[in-house]
Amino acid sequence: MTVVPIVSALTRDELEARLEEAEETLRAIREGEIDALVVSGGASEQVFTLEGGAQSYRSFMEAMDLGAAAFDTDGQLLYANQALCTLLDRPVATLRGQAVLELFDAVNQATFRRLLTQATTERQSAEIHFKVEGTDRSLLLTGAPLDFGVMRCIAITFTDISAREQAAAARESERMAKAILASANEAVIVCDRSGKVTHLNAAATRICVDDPIGKDFDEAITLTFAEAAELMSGADIVTMAAAGTPVQGLEAAVKTSSFDVTDVMISAAPLLVAGERTSGCVVTLINLTQRKAAERRQSLLMGELDHRVKNTLAMVLAISARTASNERTIENFQKSFSGRIQALAATHTLLSSASWENLQIKDVLAIELTPYTTLSGGRIAMDGLDVAVDSKTAVSLGLVFHELTTNAVKYGALSTPKGKLSVSRQAIADDGALILEWRETEGPLVTPPKTSGFGQTLISRSLGSGSGGAKLEYKPEGVVCRISIPRYGHFHMG
Amino acid sequence: MTKSEPAKLVLYVAGETPKSLAAIRNLEKICSEHLADKYKVEVIDLKKHPQLAREHGIVAIPTLVKELPVPIRKIIGDLSDTQKVLVHLAVEE
Repeated sequence: MTVVPIVSALTRDELEARLEEAEETLRAIREGEIDALVVSGGASEQVFTLEGGAQSYRSFMEAMDLGAAAFDTDGQLLYANQALCTLLDRPVATLRGQAVLELFDAVNQATFRRLLTQATTERQSAEIHFKVEGTDRSLLLTGAPLDFGVMRCIAITFTDISAREQAAAARESERMAKAILASANEAVIVCDRSGKVTHLNAAATRICVDDPIGKDFDEAITLTFAEAAELMSGADIVTMAAAGTPVQGLEAAVKTSSFDVTDVMISAAPLLVAGERTSGCVVTLINLTQRKAAERRQSLLMGELDHRVKNTLAMVLAISARTASNERTIENFQKSFSGRIQALAATHTLLSSASWENLQIKDVLAIELTPYTTLSGGRIAMDGLDVAVDSKTAVSLGLVFHELTTNAVKYGALSTPKGKLSVSRQAIADDGALILEWRETEGPLVTPPKTSGFGQTLISRSLGSGSGGAKLEYKPEGVVCRISIPRYGHFHMG
Repeated sequence: MTKSEPAKLVLYVAGETPKSLAAIRNLEKICSEHLADKYKVEVIDLKKHPQLAREHGIVAIPTLVKELPVPIRKIIGDLSDTQKVLVHLAVEE
């Protein structure tokens, strides 16, 4: 043995140091503080790791598509496979330490840390969300305790559930789209590129033929275009829209078996799905029936208004001329003319407040007698005047009542406190005319006027031709006027 | 410890084994919390350069070698026992 020279070459301190190092090495191995050894093999050294099964785990995990990593209990990364690096879009060298955790925001970091804590004892799962290059990603993390080499650690798998969540969102979106389609008031019909109906809502079902899905648009719905009946068909609109050209606001009539013709306004737009080329078109049909009716009514009213304004102006001219020929002074003219125009205006006010319809005889009379009824103390009686009259009759009656009232106030029953006035419905004449009677009593003695004033002329000529008219009698006990309103279209019994 | 001498620590690791990673982490923590970054630290990966083990006669990994100031001291293990590391480096708190 040649031990002695070697030993003698070393000092006691050096020997002690070597012994201490050897003991320290053994302790570290025993306590699992090291996981690699250097073995001298001739000229070179080799490093052997003591990871045991961990190395085979690594090989296995590298082969997986699933993202996987091992963390120690402090959340430090021990190992991450390539699939995880791809999933997180980071090279493995940048994922050391707590870099994986730092990819996430505070809320998701907290979730991750909670999972690491819980997974030290049992299998746990959690979801985290983050962005990779502006795209939302969702990961399902499943953690479980693992003996990794000589260490106790946590193995975590990362499953990309973004696609699953996107599919769920897409399903929800489709459900919402269907609900919107179903809830729309307007009829909506969706066609594919070949012009066949693929979807339609309830409003569209009512104007289409039975079971229109799969049929050509022209077969599904019968349209007539008023302005280009021979030149255009529903199929043309669908073809244009499916080719990318929107069509807006065409008016057409729809004919169905169960409904009458309905006026509609048609618009069609290309159907674009996720920015790709058009995959068909969406046709919207708005029911114009009510709008058309409103337009017709408005047109009618405009015509009527025009007619009335002309009539009224002609009447004002006539009143002016007649009044001027019967009055001797400017003051009298002004008074009579103003009174007549005011009577005309009052009737117009009544008519407009009643929308030119359903004005009753009693309303027309009441507005003339209003200044006297409050002071009359029961001297004025009205009976059976709840009869609706048309606007023309109302205007004429207004003028007649104005003349009769003016006369009664000046000379007749309303000129004295004792005089009485009764206006009543008398009968329906044989020709269907309605007879009213204006009867004054207990007033001053009446003597017929020597000349016929405009008032008298107006009363006699009012209410037009045929069975209409008014007949004035100057009886000594009071004026009596029988007013006849022609039947057809001039009044409606309530 | 003589303050004028440059202090140097060499940590020998074997790639990214868990204990190597733990030793690096623990040493960084000790340096920043207790040594006020006075030491110059060199990390040698023996997986890449196994021949460098010979210089300090490294057998077990991880091992920390205090090269300067002399005497050379070795601390074997993952450096998880901070007090033990400080004693071996002869640093007084």
